[in-house]
Amino acid sequence: MPDLCLYFQVHQPNRLIPYDFFRIGEHAYYEDEGLNGEILSKVAEKCYLPANAMFTKAIQESRGRFRMALSISGTVIEQMQRHRPDVLRSFQDLVATGNVELLAETYYHSLAFVHSKKEFERQVELHLDKLEEVFHIRPRIFRNTELIYNNAIAAQAETMGFDGILAEGVPWVLNGQSPDYLYRAPQVCQLKTLLRNIELSDDLGFRFSDRSWSEWPLTPEKFAGWIKRAPGDVVNLFLDYESIGEHQGRDSGVFEFWERLPDAVLDEDVKWVTPSEVVDLFRASKEYDCHWPTSWADAERDLSAWMGNVMQQEAIAKIHKLEEEVLAAKDAELSHAWAKMQTSDHFYWMSTKRGTDGSVHEYFSPYGSPYDAYMYFMNALADLQIRIRRSLEARAMMDGGG
Amino acid sequence: MNRLRVLKLGWEFPPLINGGLGIACLGLSQALARHVDLRVVVPRAAPDSGFEGFELLGLNHLRIEDVEAAESVYRYESFAQIDRVPIHLDPYDSDETTVEKIRMEPGGEVRFSQTTRNQLEQFKMGDLYGSDLGSKVIEFSKIAAKLALQSEFDIVHAHDWMTFLAGVEVKKATGKPLVLHVHASQYDRAGADARGWIFEIEKYGMEQADAVIPVSRYTGQICASHYGIKSSKIHPVHNGAEPVKVFSTKKKFPEKLVLFLGRLTAQKGPEFFLEIAAKVLERNRNVRFVMAGTGERLKPLIESGAFRGLGGYFHFTGFLNKEKVNELLSMTDIYCMPSVSEPFGLSALEAAQFGIPAVISKQSGVAEVLKGALKADFWDVELMARHITDLLNDDELRERVVQQAAKDMAASTWDAAAAKVLDVYRSLMP
Repeated sequence: MPDLCLYFQVHQPNRLIPYDFFRIGEHAYYEDEGLNGEILSKVAEKCYLPANAMFTKAIQESRGRFRMALSISGTVIEQMQRHRPDVLRSFQDLVATGNVELLAETYYHSLAFVHSKKEFERQVELHLDKLEEVFHIRPRIFRNTELIYNNAIAAQAETMGFDGILAEGVPWVLNGQSPDYLYRAPQVCQLKTLLRNIELSDDLGFRFSDRSWSEWPLTPEKFAGWIKRAPGDVVNLFLDYESIGEHQGRDSGVFEFWERLPDAVLDEDVKWVTPSEVVDLFRASKEYDCHWPTSWADAERDLSAWMGNVMQQEAIAKIHKLEEEVLAAKDAELSHAWAKMQTSDHFYWMSTKRGTDGSVHEYFSPYGSPYDAYMYFMNALADLQIRIRRSLEARAMMDGGG
Repeated sequence: MNRLRVLKLGWEFPPLINGGLGIACLGLSQALARHVDLRVVVPRAAPDSGFEGFELLGLNHLRIEDVEAAESVYRYESFAQIDRVPIHLDPYDSDETTVEKIRMEPGGEVRFSQTTRNQLEQFKMGDLYGSDLGSKVIEFSKIAAKLALQSEFDIVHAHDWMTFLAGVEVKKATGKPLVLHVHASQYDRAGADARGWIFEIEKYGMEQADAVIPVSRYTGQICASHYGIKSSKIHPVHNGAEPVKVFSTKKKFPEKLVLFLGRLTAQKGPEFFLEIAAKVLERNRNVRFVMAGTGERLKPLIESGAFRGLGGYFHFTGFLNKEKVNELLSMTDIYCMPSVSEPFGLSALEAAQFGIPAVISKQSGVAEVLKGALKADFWDVELMARHITDLLNDDELRERVVQQAAKDMAASTWDAAAAKVLDVYRSLMP
């Protein structure tokens, strides 16, 4: 009988205004503050606040036997600080129970690792600092944006001192093995890799409210039975926090389900564990050899959700190309604006995929089309380039004059 | 000589549609009205347009009683057997269009010649183009002929293919000489291999006409070679340009700005502009390119620009209204028009009024007017790029081009155009 490890991702991006050509060079604010605040509030009311209350209660009523993990991106923490401090407090209270582990990630929820190791490290450090400041916690486990993972990222996480890393249990890398064990990347000594159980995670994240699904309606008791019967050491359920109440609406019964799941699982004698407990409890005896970057996005489970077409490839390459210049300008506001444009969602909205994955991209997009997303982003980027140049020139003048 | 009486047939007319065709018809009408008695018939006119010097009649204001008197004496000549022409054409549409088959109904000539209340109704609502364009074109020609039978005039003058059938019908019903004005042909819109209903109407109309007035020598050559029209009856007359209110706006960025302005269709050569931009940017990073406008090529162009890595220096604006277009012109340094086939190209003249030097394709009418503009074949992106680079680097050259354009502009008036059109009219009078 395996243990059960539950982790939720909490993230909101900074959506851009329809930044047209005429703003370039004179309009230094790229983000739609109103829209971002509005969406945060909407998601907070539908998901964050009621879910936090529900899980706080579950922890209390189970006398600490229910445990879980959250990864909260730097961008969403900022949004909460700005628009909804009450929501941030609710997360702080939840974490203060001591039964909710926080994970490390890139502050800006970016694809930095793919483009610059240096920038990647900078963003992970920033996120660690933010968690220290807001939650007084220093995580031991790392999870990269959208579970983007390969051997190199695992090695990097080990170098940075983490004990474990989360990844998608991709069938073509698992090659017939079960995701319900701990794994080790080829070139690491200590770091352990936790693999997401795709089947069971997606039952809750995607299929839960699908009436054409043969298992609908899913009860906590039925699901707990599936966990109990699963072979292996630990079942990893990795989900978006927003799947409770937002992607899966309240009327689907999603809250009733999660309210009863902690006890239903405990009734089957299955233990709730957090990622760092998993790392301490189990040995990583098997090797998970993952060369190409994988992720939990789209059917392809690769980087194509963000880098699948030429618009995405150009936009992401161009934003990262500014790294040296923007950091040389030594202007905190400017580098913050730059780094916020690395948030993976910007590229996700430029996807031209069709079919089921295409409609998921569309569902999350604030723009009329991927082409609009690209145009606004590139115009804002042009403005950012101009600001960087101005800032560098001003610095050079000061240095020259001084 | 007596004042001539001219019946003019048009399709677009400001302020309802502000496309190039309508603007040209209005400009020419206003100038001609000083010399001839002018009546303009269009499918639709704004309720109280109140243009001075000529009469404007929109079929949307016509009552069935106005044409009844001519019903007994008129038989439709041109396409009498056609019951319905399913055609969808909209030059301002951004989707690709499909065309169905024409349906024939033998022996329907008499019924066909009549105008019903319903047929008149179709000019009151909906689109000027759109799915029933074919039937609108035919109804317009029938009604025009009936109106002509009830009025006194010396010459009929029709503008572009939508009115060519009407021109021919009027000529057949009244025996008056027919002048066709070619603002654009199917060769420009759809390419050298374009055949079909519109091409046939254009060819038929020009063959029946007594004189053909293309808006440039370039278009005249297409009439002669592509449509096989006798050169002796082709008389090119360049469009004029209304003076626009010119102002200048300081750019918010240090780079120079090169502008492409127009619908994003193959005819305008936007792909070539992208290639030209790529070439210039290889040599000079101190320049931005703007592609203003929209059309069915927008998405592929965006992807192509991204593929070439031009993003950040190459900007798409999407659709812009007149005000925004002028704002853009007021900060533009170089105007580039790499049209594959451009009968005239009024926008280059408008840019010239803003003191912007132009780099334009040889396959354009405006190239004959702007003598100092730098020119290249539309496909010669290397030469186009060199022209732009030269203008960016050489202020003296830039000044020369702008000075020459100012001189050429001074001669490009609608009055000058009207004088030439008047000569054509007179040559057709006995």
